Amino acid sequence: MTTPIISVTDLRKRYGEIEAVRGISFTVAEGEVFGLLGPNGAGKTTTVEILEGLRNADSGTASVAGIDVARDPTGVKRRIGVQLQASAFPEHYTTKEVVELFGIFYDRTVDALALLRQVDLADRASQRQEKLSGGQRQRLSIAVALVNEPRVIFLDEPTTGLDPQARRNLWALVQSIRDRGITVLLTTHYLDEAEVLCDRVAIIDEGRIVALAPPRTLIADLLGRGFTKPVLQQQANLEDVFLDLTGHELRED
Amino acid sequence: MRQVVRYTAMLLRAYVRDRSAVFFSLLLPLMFMLIFGALNLGAFGHVTMGIVDEARNADSRRFVDQLAGIGELTVREGALDDEKARLSRSERDMVVAIPADFRLAPPQPGASVPTLLVYANDGRAQQVAVGGAILQQLIAETSFAVTRTSPVVQLTQEQVSAVRLRYVDFLVPGILGMNVMQLAIFSVAFALVADKQRGVLRRIMATPFRPIRFLTSQVLLRLVLSVIQILILLGVALLVFKVQVVGSVLDLLVLTTLGSIAFLTVGFTLAGWAETVNQVPPVANLITLPQFFLSGVFFPTDVVPPLLKPISEHAPLTYLNDAVREVSTQGATLWDVRGDVLGLAVWSIVGFLLAVRFFKFQTS
Repeated sequence: MTTPIISVTDLRKRYGEIEAVRGISFTVAEGEVFGLLGPNGAGKTTTVEILEGLRNADSGTASVAGIDVARDPTGVKRRIGVQLQASAFPEHYTTKEVVELFGIFYDRTVDALALLRQVDLADRASQRQEKLSGGQRQRLSIAVALVNEPRVIFLDEPTTGLDPQARRNLWALVQSIRDRGITVLLTTHYLDEAEVLCDRVAIIDEGRIVALAPPRTLIADLLGRGFTKPVLQQQANLEDVFLDLTGHELRED
Repeated sequence: MRQVVRYTAMLLRAYVRDRSAVFFSLLLPLMFMLIFGALNLGAFGHVTMGIVDEARNADSRRFVDQLAGIGELTVREGALDDEKARLSRSERDMVVAIPADFRLAPPQPGASVPTLLVYANDGRAQQVAVGGAILQQLIAETSFAVTRTSPVVQLTQEQVSAVRLRYVDFLVPGILGMNVMQLAIFSVAFALVADKQRGVLRRIMATPFRPIRFLTSQVLLRLVLSVIQILILLGVALLVFKVQVVGSVLDLLVLTTLGSIAFLTVGFTLAGWAETVNQVPPVANLITLPQFFLSGVFFPTDVVPPLLKPISEHAPLTYLNDAVREVSTQGATLWDVRGDVLGLAVWSIVGFLLAVRFFKFQTS
């Protein structure tokens, strides 16, 4: 097996009385889409922010792209792309200028239009960033995450708050990023999203990993333990109905 | 360095697009200057004199016309009761009553000369003294002309300073200093706290961009803005109010930049402490408002009560205003105002230490 691109060993982080992360360990192989699943407050974001070099762990080690995060956070930041939860871009810039601005932060010249084209935002290049819809903003943040041609990108709840069309669109975008050989680590609390996108998932609860395997394996294990759903298995669900009626095209402006 | 310059240019671009920022940093100061300049608040040495002419003859007309021709006086005429009422409302500094028997003729032996009665406004002693002296001088000149004699002693007056200080000449340096303070404290505190609150700073800190470069760009932006602001305000002051700047404009820019640095440290400290934008105005106003009145923006610091003198003397804005005013109105050099420069330097160091202690990139 090749060396993992992300490796985390016994990570712990405490905020005052609350122990947010209680000894998490996992590895992610290069090219994989890896999901961290869990309810709100499970410790997903804290774990991801430690890997991104934004927070210090109390103990344990984490390395990304062969670099120890605690020792060289800037080196890690240089090699990864990130999309943060609850963050925003500076105001009074156009979409294209936001991409260029982050080019400055990585100290490189970027082809902003080409990046916007990759996330299907080229037609919004000269529009103010503040005026973008939720889905467009998430796509912009992915374009920004790709500014430094990263080997790994971290997406923290990328589809929270988006309508079904925008979610599907973002899934396609994540798959196209994976197809380019970029490793993706995403957090989500939507299980269908994990099932569609992730090669492997780690389910986190109360700061600990309670399961780690490919989604199919986890489901097969559960069924193997004699689990049955009390309702009849349907061939479609309400979301399928919704998308059938309203179409797959993005609804923006 | 290239990164800092490129980022500063981007910040400047966003700044000029931000209408409220442009309003607060440029239009508001201009309005301040125009309003206070037009009000001619303070009006040093300027005397408003009410005249009650009960003689209404050629001689009294001539006397009043002569008074009206004197630059320091604004002469208003009216009935006695009316003028006295205005005096009590401080609309007049003094009221001069010309008696019905007023005439300009050589005095007859044994007869009394006409007597001017002066009502003085107690609250405006300085103006009353100036007006009284002007009256005395006019009476003396008139007497010599009428009696065809020459004065036995002549007086030549020499201006103490080469330039006569009008209120607006005094005001403009104060306005410059005030705006350096406002721009440095408010623009940093508001912009950075808003960015911190919205998670913009966190997003930037997730890139390898070094915090020191981020902060350097933020400081550079404000210094550039401050220079632009000062040049525009000075330009308007020169064009509209014909303000005389005796000293060097370059020295003024050096001083205002030093002032900016001192106040920027306050802005960054505030930005570090505040978690939400709403916390900014009360504290920022608590720091800036007293200095409007204690640091000689609109009127000289002599009027500051003794109890507040120690604060007034050492407030950063006082150092800045004193230095800018000395250069602008007296033609002082940077070396002449080294005491004020030192004061600003000490404040900058204190502020820098506070900023380092308090400034954080993310809310905890």
